[in-house]
Amino acid sequence: MVEESRVTTAFGRFSGHVAKGLAYLVMVVFAIMTIYPLFWLAMSSFKSTREYQLNMLGLPKTWVFDNFKMAWDFGEFGKLFPNSIIYTAGTTLGVILLSVLAGFAFAKIPSRATKWIYGSFVIGILLTLNSLMIPLFIEVNVLGIYNTRFAVLLVYIGAGLPIGIYLATEYIKAIPTALIESARIDGAGYFRIFRRIVLPMSIPVATTLAILNITGTWNEFALINILVSKTDLKSLPLGIYKFSGSLSTDYGKQFAALTIGMAPMILFYVVFRKQITKGVAAGAVKG
Amino acid sequence: MTKAKRIDREAGRAYWMMSLPAFLVYLLVMAFPIALSVVLSVSNYSGGKMFGGEAWGFAGFGQYARIVQDPWFWNALKNNFYIVLISVFGQLPLGFIFAYIIYRRIVKWPGFWQGILYLPNIISIIVVGLLWQSIFSPNGPIAELVNLSARHQFEIKLVAVLGSQGHLNLGDDALSRIIALGGPQAANMFTNPVPELRDLIAGYQPNQYSQLLNDLTNLFVTRWTPDFLNQKNVAMLPVLFVILWMYTGMYLILFLANMQKIDTQIIESARIDGANEAQVMRHIILPALSGTIVNSAILAISGSLSSFALIFALTGGGPSRITEILSIYMYNNAFLGRPNFPLANAIALITVVISMLLILVTKAFESRYGGKEE
Repeated sequence: MVEESRVTTAFGRFSGHVAKGLAYLVMVVFAIMTIYPLFWLAMSSFKSTREYQLNMLGLPKTWVFDNFKMAWDFGEFGKLFPNSIIYTAGTTLGVILLSVLAGFAFAKIPSRATKWIYGSFVIGILLTLNSLMIPLFIEVNVLGIYNTRFAVLLVYIGAGLPIGIYLATEYIKAIPTALIESARIDGAGYFRIFRRIVLPMSIPVATTLAILNITGTWNEFALINILVSKTDLKSLPLGIYKFSGSLSTDYGKQFAALTIGMAPMILFYVVFRKQITKGVAAGAVKG
Repeated sequence: MTKAKRIDREAGRAYWMMSLPAFLVYLLVMAFPIALSVVLSVSNYSGGKMFGGEAWGFAGFGQYARIVQDPWFWNALKNNFYIVLISVFGQLPLGFIFAYIIYRRIVKWPGFWQGILYLPNIISIIVVGLLWQSIFSPNGPIAELVNLSARHQFEIKLVAVLGSQGHLNLGDDALSRIIALGGPQAANMFTNPVPELRDLIAGYQPNQYSQLLNDLTNLFVTRWTPDFLNQKNVAMLPVLFVILWMYTGMYLILFLANMQKIDTQIIESARIDGANEAQVMRHIILPALSGTIVNSAILAISGSLSSFALIFALTGGGPSRITEILSIYMYNNAFLGRPNFPLANAIALITVVISMLLILVTKAFESRYGGKEE
């Protein structure tokens, strides 16, 4: 009720109603434009290819669940899901651990090197790895780690580090130095301080990093596309890409594959929406 | 050794043990590829073993000259530039409007709108690309919607001329009007339109009326099969639309998060002092967000220059290379046909440099005109 009165005063009574109606119109139109294609995709995935061609826009008349089984088998999703989980979990944990460790060093241990090392990470925030995929591909081949999980994790962690280290360092700077100094006086080493004080206090920034890396890694395509070619090592987006091209006329199967591909993230989003939007806003920093 | 020195040494060791792992990974993944692309771009390396394989060496700056002379490079750069434009002048203003509407509580349920409009961002780009490929396909839902509506319009007009079940009007006048409804290509289907159409209709039993309508509609209404993604002059438009569709919510989130940092009391007291909504926007909200706007523009630039997967899935750079962007131009030079790694590496380096230059320009613009931020 308070909100309402504020808006009425915000625009005056009559123009307030007009502005409000207009605002609702804008929001409703764009919300439908956003959600309808996804809804349409989900509905189409329950139609046979024949029904899709005859009834493209309506709800399924007969709900076909076979599409999902066929897509699952053809796409070898049974292999892709574990891989995606390994890459996402490994990257997220790796980035958090390395970032908080280095962030502690940069923020609380004085050193002349900080300016250079930390500075190079900050520049890296704007360097997007996609433009470097060809040299990365060559490097991975030279190192003999093409087609390995190690290479994927290495590249993903490296890609996540600049923003991770920036956020962790800025966050840890705000931890009172007195807290660390008194632990030092009590004889604690830096690693003990890290475990006992810094790491527990960094849970909020670690959550932000987890959000950024989980959404980023799960959906990543461009880099893993040049890092692995074996099905056993592929992630979900690579597997879904298989459904373009030759299968693009086998609509039922293709839509089922796309639906399988988007379902986990939508679920994740429904559960963690607040944390995700907060994390994204925090992670969108300039260099 | 004094105690102070021992502590210094311990601190130094801890510093390096904590920061080196991250730094080494960073060097390996970011710095080394850049150095590699510098070297390879002026070499004649052609794949295979880098050490102990076929000998390769310095080959001059020819690749750079070749790129600058390649019209496809400029085409790709132009497309990247379009993406920057749609981001800066499409996504940012739209995101700002949404954020403003939600922030000022002009609509109820702030979380609901935010939740929906951000949704496309968390879906895999590959899924988004293939989804819109289906939507834009010649037999996809857009074409279907237009065709259904065209058929519906035609049937209404057809019934008006032909009459209802059992009362068909088969006069010369009515029949020629039906043929006129079908347009010029309808007349061309017959050598002698009116009598032939009369014979055709006479072939149906009175209880087959709806069948008759359906068949005549099929005959006279040609299906519209627009191939949005395969027409050279328009293919970039659907691509830009999908980019707008996907990422606008991202800027909504950024703007809203930063609007919420504004002290609401400032706005309230300005309102009490008689400032109107436009003045609040101009003197409070916009200045407070100037930093965020510049930041978003930087994100849009670096995001545009690094985008790859969406266009890879949506058009693959086609039709005939018209929707290529720099990353796909590079990818194709490295992996399609005979690989040209020196050329691809030169493109990589050029992309990095362009992206850095654009960001520097944006930042210079900010420090010159930017208002108070943070």
